Amino acid sequence: MSALRFIARHIWAEQRRTWLTGLLLATLVLAAGIGLLGLSGWFVTASGAAGLAGIGIAFDFFRPSAGVRLLAMGRTAARYGERLVTHDATLRSLAALRAALLGALAGLPYREMVRVRGARALNRITADVDALDGLPLRLVIPLVAGLTALLGTLALLAWLTAPVLALWSVLSYAAGLAAALAFVALRSRAEARRAETGFQALRTRVVDMLRGQTELVMSGQLEDQRAAVMAADERVRAAERALERSDRIAGFAMQAAGTLAAAGAFAIGAFLVQQGTLSPARLALAFFATLALAEIGPALRRGLAEFGRMADAARRVQRLMEGRGSAGAAPARPAPAEPPAEPAGAAGLALEDLTQSMPEGGRILFEDVSFSIAPGERVALTGRSGCGKSTLLLIAAGLVAPCRGRVRVDGRPVDACPEAELRMVLGLLPQRSALMSGSLREAVRLGAPDLTDVQIRAVLEAVALGPVLDRLGGLDAPLGEGGAGLSGGERRRLALARVLARRPSVLLLDEPTEGLDRATAEAVLAGIHDFLPHAAVLVAAHREAERAWADREVSLDAAARQETVMSGR
Amino acid sequence: MADAPDAAKRRLKALVSPVKARLSRAGGLAVTAELLWIPQAGVIALGLGGLLGAGATALDPFLAAGLFALLGLLRHGLDAWAARFTFEAADAVVAGARAELVAAESLRSPQDGARPASAEIAALAGEKLAALRPYLLRYRPAQLRVMTVPFVIAVAAVLPVSWAVFLILMVAGPLIPVFMALVGFAAREASEKQMVEVGQLNALLLERLAALVDIRLLDARARAVSGFAAAADGLRARTMAVLRIAFLSSTVLELFSALGVAMVAVYVGFALLGEIGFGAWATPLDLREGIFVLMLAPAFFQPLRDLAAAWHDRAAAVAVAGELAARDESRARRILGQGSAAEPLPGPAAIAIRGLSYITPAGRRIAWPDFEVAPGESLAILGPSGIGKSALLALLGGLAAAEAGEVRVADVPLADGTADAWRARLGWVGQAPHFLEASLRVNLTLGAGKVAEARLAEALALAEAGEIVARLPHGLGARLGEAGAGVSGGEARRLMVARAALRAPDVILADEPTADLDARTAASVTEGLLRLNAGGATLIVATHDPALAARMGRQIRLAEAEA
Repeated sequence: MSALRFIARHIWAEQRRTWLTGLLLATLVLAAGIGLLGLSGWFVTASGAAGLAGIGIAFDFFRPSAGVRLLAMGRTAARYGERLVTHDATLRSLAALRAALLGALAGLPYREMVRVRGARALNRITADVDALDGLPLRLVIPLVAGLTALLGTLALLAWLTAPVLALWSVLSYAAGLAAALAFVALRSRAEARRAETGFQALRTRVVDMLRGQTELVMSGQLEDQRAAVMAADERVRAAERALERSDRIAGFAMQAAGTLAAAGAFAIGAFLVQQGTLSPARLALAFFATLALAEIGPALRRGLAEFGRMADAARRVQRLMEGRGSAGAAPARPAPAEPPAEPAGAAGLALEDLTQSMPEGGRILFEDVSFSIAPGERVALTGRSGCGKSTLLLIAAGLVAPCRGRVRVDGRPVDACPEAELRMVLGLLPQRSALMSGSLREAVRLGAPDLTDVQIRAVLEAVALGPVLDRLGGLDAPLGEGGAGLSGGERRRLALARVLARRPSVLLLDEPTEGLDRATAEAVLAGIHDFLPHAAVLVAAHREAERAWADREVSLDAAARQETVMSGR
Repeated sequence: MADAPDAAKRRLKALVSPVKARLSRAGGLAVTAELLWIPQAGVIALGLGGLLGAGATALDPFLAAGLFALLGLLRHGLDAWAARFTFEAADAVVAGARAELVAAESLRSPQDGARPASAEIAALAGEKLAALRPYLLRYRPAQLRVMTVPFVIAVAAVLPVSWAVFLILMVAGPLIPVFMALVGFAAREASEKQMVEVGQLNALLLERLAALVDIRLLDARARAVSGFAAAADGLRARTMAVLRIAFLSSTVLELFSALGVAMVAVYVGFALLGEIGFGAWATPLDLREGIFVLMLAPAFFQPLRDLAAAWHDRAAAVAVAGELAARDESRARRILGQGSAAEPLPGPAAIAIRGLSYITPAGRRIAWPDFEVAPGESLAILGPSGIGKSALLALLGGLAAAEAGEVRVADVPLADGTADAWRARLGWVGQAPHFLEASLRVNLTLGAGKVAEARLAEALALAEAGEIVARLPHGLGARLGEAGAGVSGGEARRLMVARAALRAPDVILADEPTADLDARTAASVTEGLLRLNAGGATLIVATHDPALAARMGRQIRLAEAEA
């Protein structure tokens, strides 16, 4: 519940006025509906009584009949306004919630970030925020508007009929609603969670079945995997059946409460009429108004059915939003052990006694790696696959903390450097990078917003994307989702251009020419050097072209044992 | 999706047809429940009449209240009962469609070029198929009620009492289809817009989440968030422009129903006062009749409002059915056999191909020269990219069906009936292995049953993969793949060799086992494969790698054949 409140508060805070208007209109809709039925009932009965008594001519029929028409039109207008306002607010909140989540996640430590960008985590996050879309529209507004309408009806009936009648009508219905709400809140959370985990299992197993299909077929396990998929399906549906059952019972409880409230109101009213303390017309008013109260339930029911799912999703989204990075500052990196006492040392990159092991106490990857790179110097980092080249670059970029040792950029230890300053001087092209939809210009400007078109063209030329620029028809050419429209190698180069555009003085490149043919690779490497001739460059090299381009080589293979081998050229 | 093609509607109909009888039974119950409102209105009218002392046919008010409550509970009970039946039917539809989809996709050949992304199929099998349920639970019952309830109320209950009220309702009556069409059209557009909106919003979010590390490295967090917010706001403004019109037309329906009730109330009031002398059969209308028709008026319009509220459920279901229909149409290529565990095919593991040809998904015909492979042989298949090396291995493994000719294995033709048994004797080393969402141990022993630790260690040593396992945080318990610890391409390839070894296969098919590997890793993989060959297994590799090919006992070079 507290997670739901957290999300609701968040949504509410973003669009306070719009939501308030929507709430007001929703309450008006309910009130007008109750008023319309109550007034109609009163009007018909009073007319009947007057007709029977033969005083029909004296009866003021003008005001009530005008009231009936007014309420009918007013209800419709309020309904239209409510739908517009609340949908607008919902769309705004959807965007705001996602933007807040994005901001929070963008501040996570590197390891968490990598976890979040995996397809499974992404899937879960989208499913969760989608589940929360209905929170204000289907749960909060109907609940608050319903409560307000109940209170208003209580006051009105107490004033126009009899307090005991008013109390019965409103309280008996409210009790039914509350019971249904409590029942669902208690029953559906565990089942909703079960359904959700089942859904995730279903997804994972389907993806496993399809991606691992060849292996599964070859080992005769495809049928078993199919069975595993269908077992997850069975689990999901069992949970959904349980949820439907709770929903059905809650729905019955709400409807029954409405009927019993109206029947009770009629009986109490009839008693009061026989006692002579209430007119039949006012009895009709109370009875019809109570009947109209039943409109509150159905509006809530949809939200109620989704309650468990929402509560479950809210829990996870809250955790993500409050998670280790919501403060807005750079993520927690270990505090600098000592202030950078020594005067700003040599410019460029210096690695001092770096030691790193696999996470969770695994094997040591490399030990006591030390070397430095002066401005304008290019160093190739080599070693067989899996020896920790990428990890070393991540450490150098301040994304991962080493077990031991230190990295200095332009003489300053990276762990003591404020995030923004560090990013200003240090650029990293990671092994995997992602593009976003938008124009080519926007892609390059993501990291360098002040670049002019001429400068953007220059950096694209540097990574041999000039022909692509011509092919696509200029900087305004739109890229699809994830950079669709470009080949794999072109995407890689555009990501590289993004890094170069910031003109870092220390440049870390993780296999920058992967997926490029030899000629292009050499053109790109030459372009990098021409574009940033004074940068200290460390390139995790896999290909001959990259090694040849570098001034010297550092191999990590030997560091896996003890010492660092440097082979100058 | 915009012009809901007939194929989608036909597919939807086919999905529903097995449970049609159950659905109509449930629908009948729901309609009966709805119609119980007529006697409920009747007893209240008579009870109120009794209080006012209006004539002989009155009811004791307390008895009326009791009857009203009883009938009401019966109505809600029937309603819940109907809901349960409907849910069961809907559940059966979803379960059936899911099982069918999973079976069909699992048997689709990996060589099928039209194969959708696995995430797409996962989404279709998961949440998209679940979208069929609201359509069955809400839309269809509402549709059935719209076709029955208003007419029964108008003709059977209202008309006998007052032709004027009947007329008021009937003015709305013929207009109902018109308004439904209007509302439906606009509401569908609105709901589609909204679905697209949420979809696009999610796409925007997802690509930013995928680029989180880049955003951080480029110090672009604030820009990424504000860019997202701006894009989202643009989407919102466009959507609202559509919704403003869509909501207007459904407001017309609301207005009609509200005005209908108001007009009935005003007419009845005036008639009771004697201001209006026409409209009832036995003039004048009396109070009981007035209350009766007043209570029926909202019930007349209710089914229409329900249907309008459920309209987007239909749009969603049609969209899903459309995807299923499109999938059905893409005549999928199948693997041979079922992919289940089977007793190994008996006989010597010899392979012979004769007159074999195959049509690629792109429509190109590939033909292979006839050749035979004796048990224990090692063979390299060479040739330029696209010549059909991988396709040949796929055919030898029964992963696709040939166009003509045959593959004979262990002296029987490789076909649906023999493929599973043949594969029980095969080991496979692919280019880009996928690790299942399970421990490394499970991944390694896939299809090998229970394996002793010693044998596992032996297989890992054979593949020079022992150190990879030692390096992993949880050793054999480590989870690889997307969410787990990473291994490089070369490490994955060596683990696959170990897996092949554990199956103690008679034949090993390896598809480009050394592609993209550095020389040292490539040598490890090659040695591992050769050790298996030395142990007696036939080894067939498709490769570009001259170093690997040189180690094989025989080489077959595929050349461009005239198609």
